[in-house]
Amino acid sequence: MRNRWAILWTLVVLAVGIHQVLFWRSARLDTDVLALLPEDEQAPEVDAATRRLADGAGRELVMLVGAPDWASAQRAADVATRELAADSSLLAPTATDASALEAAVEFYRPYRDRLLTPAQREWLSRATPDELGGTALMKLYQPAGPRLTAWGEDPLGLWPDWWAARAAESAARPRDGRLWLSGEGREWVLLTWRSQVSAFALGADARITARVERARAAVTAEVPEGRLVAAGVPLYAEAAAAQASEEMSTIGLGSLVAVLVLVWLTFRSLRPILLVGVSLAIGCAVALSVTALFFERVHLLTLVFGSSLVGVAEDYGFHYFAARQGRSPDERGAVMRSLLPGMALALLTSVVAYLALGVAPFPGLRQMALFSAAGLLGAFLTVVCWFPSLDTSALPVTSFAARFARTLPRWPRAAPTWRWGLAGAAFAVALGGGLWRLETRDDLRQLQGAPANLIADQRELGRLLGLPSPAQFFLVGGADAEEVLSREVSLKQRLDALVQARVIAGYRAVSDWLPTTAQQREDAVLSARAEEQAVAAVAAATGEAPERARFSRDDLRPGPFFDGPAALAIRQQWLGLLGARSYSVVMLRGLNDPSVLPRLAEVGQGLEGVRWVDKTAEISRLLERYRRIMGGLIAVGYVAVLVTLVIRFRREAWRAWIPSVLGTLVTLAFFGWTGEPLQLFSVLGLVLLLGMGVDYGIFLLEHPGDGSAWLAVALAGVSTLLSFGLLGLSATPALRSFGLTMLLGEVSIWFITPFFRLPPGKDAS
Amino acid sequence: MKRWLLLVGMLAGLSAQASELVTGVRARLENAALLRGEFEQRKTVAGFKKPLVSRGDFVLSRDKGVLWDTRAPFASTLTLTRTSLSAAQGTSAAYHLDTVKEPALAAVNELLFALLAGDVATLSSRFEVQGELVGTAGWKLTLTPTDAGLARVFRSIRLEGDRYVRRVHLEETRGDSSLIQFDHLRQAPPLSDAEARRLAK
Repeated sequence: MRNRWAILWTLVVLAVGIHQVLFWRSARLDTDVLALLPEDEQAPEVDAATRRLADGAGRELVMLVGAPDWASAQRAADVATRELAADSSLLAPTATDASALEAAVEFYRPYRDRLLTPAQREWLSRATPDELGGTALMKLYQPAGPRLTAWGEDPLGLWPDWWAARAAESAARPRDGRLWLSGEGREWVLLTWRSQVSAFALGADARITARVERARAAVTAEVPEGRLVAAGVPLYAEAAAAQASEEMSTIGLGSLVAVLVLVWLTFRSLRPILLVGVSLAIGCAVALSVTALFFERVHLLTLVFGSSLVGVAEDYGFHYFAARQGRSPDERGAVMRSLLPGMALALLTSVVAYLALGVAPFPGLRQMALFSAAGLLGAFLTVVCWFPSLDTSALPVTSFAARFARTLPRWPRAAPTWRWGLAGAAFAVALGGGLWRLETRDDLRQLQGAPANLIADQRELGRLLGLPSPAQFFLVGGADAEEVLSREVSLKQRLDALVQARVIAGYRAVSDWLPTTAQQREDAVLSARAEEQAVAAVAAATGEAPERARFSRDDLRPGPFFDGPAALAIRQQWLGLLGARSYSVVMLRGLNDPSVLPRLAEVGQGLEGVRWVDKTAEISRLLERYRRIMGGLIAVGYVAVLVTLVIRFRREAWRAWIPSVLGTLVTLAFFGWTGEPLQLFSVLGLVLLLGMGVDYGIFLLEHPGDGSAWLAVALAGVSTLLSFGLLGLSATPALRSFGLTMLLGEVSIWFITPFFRLPPGKDAS
Repeated sequence: MKRWLLLVGMLAGLSAQASELVTGVRARLENAALLRGEFEQRKTVAGFKKPLVSRGDFVLSRDKGVLWDTRAPFASTLTLTRTSLSAAQGTSAAYHLDTVKEPALAAVNELLFALLAGDVATLSSRFEVQGELVGTAGWKLTLTPTDAGLARVFRSIRLEGDRYVRRVHLEETRGDSSLIQFDHLRQAPPLSDAEARRLAK
């Protein structure tokens, strides 16, 4: 019977092994913080927009090289470029050269007559024939002008201004064949590079970061007052990968070593070490395989979080060996059978708790939940199916184990005495005070563990370049492209007022590059009338017969436009058809002050199809909502756990239950006293605590007065504590607060549980 | 418009190239703080059979800027300072650009003032300079843009002169060309109050 299960499990483990080999060969690990964030079921188009904006930037590297004067800025840019170009398999310069602009100019050329700026529109509709003729003549007689066309194609010289308006969407201007901008006391050269490596394949060796650092060093070597400011998703991805791999080894190896040392101290035998090690390895492999099967990509933070699994999954092995110690090898089947109910109940509560984490619609969290639940199950099955077959020889009780087991009877019991009453009252006051002072925080930044220098660079770059914000934008929807574009126009009219009032620096909208058909026709009529008058005036003044060129008879259509070279700068803001409707994104520039956000939200109000999206605020609201939901869930969970315990332990069930409740309250009170705010991730820690904390009580109730159960509980407590304590070292604030919660909660529960063990009379059973 | 600045700048000091030719030309050019004169421009434009001829006068102040006043066939003015460029026709302003709104103008102005100061490095970074010294006082230069932005506008710029620039020939990349000749070049009188006011705007 037992052998059959062992064989079955062996087959599963083999399959997992094969899957592991395949998985690591083409590891698709996700470092993107966005991937952790919840999907918005109500507005999938908002997600699509956010993702599109993020994907567009996925491989981009933007750098500014600055120096006090233009000549040294150029020199600095040259040395930086040389460093960046040194490894062409890693980075390639983005084509921002003249050929791209030329292609866009050629594409627009047949439609020149229907591309007007608002100011031109206004001027053309009020200018007298004299004014038009005079302007045309003046421009004609200038020695040379920045013409993009022959004279007859643009007699009033309108087109360069239209292009200047498009160029104004970026702070950088062409100068000496470079992109230049001036700001914060320096002259800057803009460099844009593209990673040749997929963001998912970026390793912990941080090659791109190293390249950029060498370029930075080269810049300061060339120009002592020079500066290089760099930002881009690849840098964040590398930082995240490096950080995650470091944390995985600290947490994973740290807890593994701790577990193995504990096993050695307790059992003084190689076999338990090997077997516990095997159960952990299989648990982790199963966890990873199951996660990879359910999710397209495994997130790095899942692995970091998963490293703490080691400290939880060893429990089953400990329990087995603690119970088995000193018994004859023939009894091992019986030992396992006697342990099974308690272990299964402990597994059940832990798995349910882990899976409860997945209630929140955060894909990252769901991964972590699935990963941990699968890992626990894997370790549990390994212990149950394999250990009795593999653990064949004697395992004497060590003196350490015997000594430790004897500490249990000496542990005080809570009793209805006045001393205990006093201690309880003091305890209650401390708890109440802490809970009173408890604060909450729901901030997106808790997900962001990026190094401070990257964030500082990103901010500086945003300030200098006036980059549009990727987290706050308007989403414009409509039945078709024309409706979307015309709704953009209404929105832009309101935004213009804010630009005038310097609330924002500007905006980027598709309709500036692709006007609505109605606008195109109107502008074509307007420019035709004005330019005919201008040409006639020039003809009269020069005595010649110049002609105005013909333009395309067709409108500029979305299809050809987005397929063409002119859409390069704006394509990512066009979402096109999503379901039955079309969408575009209007981005805002110079949005550096969060206090103006409410005014922008107001702008979108009352405009049909226009939706203001503030991703940062939305996520914070969501974090808050789920903090409350999960908080409620904990209360419900405690009731459910109590019911489960009552079914098994009847009137003594409270003994396993009350330590977890108290541990949770102690943790919250501690947070209150220390000023650590309560956030979603600490609440999630409390959820998990509920599932794992009762395990200690369960084992002590299952095996009352049994020194070996106490030993196992102690070992499990110490190792769990270590692994979550190590998680508290993570640079990701969310994981840190999670680890801290678990650490505090586990310590207190572990400490409190023996106070509530069964009274001596019932020990004997 | 921006090319305007460049042109006007070139009239002024011309100069510059770290070669014998450039040294020779710089030695022959007078480094005047103020220059006045008349100009005649013949512009050949696609779509027009005859060259478009215009005449007028100009003042160049090395410190303050340039006034370029066309008198015939119609009156218009162009004012250039370190931070702005504006054109007017009669009493109405046709356009006004300043470096705050149009930062690229600052780059052009910087180029112009580099030219005025005989900044060899700046000019030779944008043009390949060829030419010869003529007789005891004259010279000819051909400037070919090496800068992609300039090359999109000019195919080449030819200059002739002695102690002053006498002829400028602009060949545009799109085929149009302008020949500007200067006459009555002199260094006096100094800026009038009216002129100084226009340049102070």
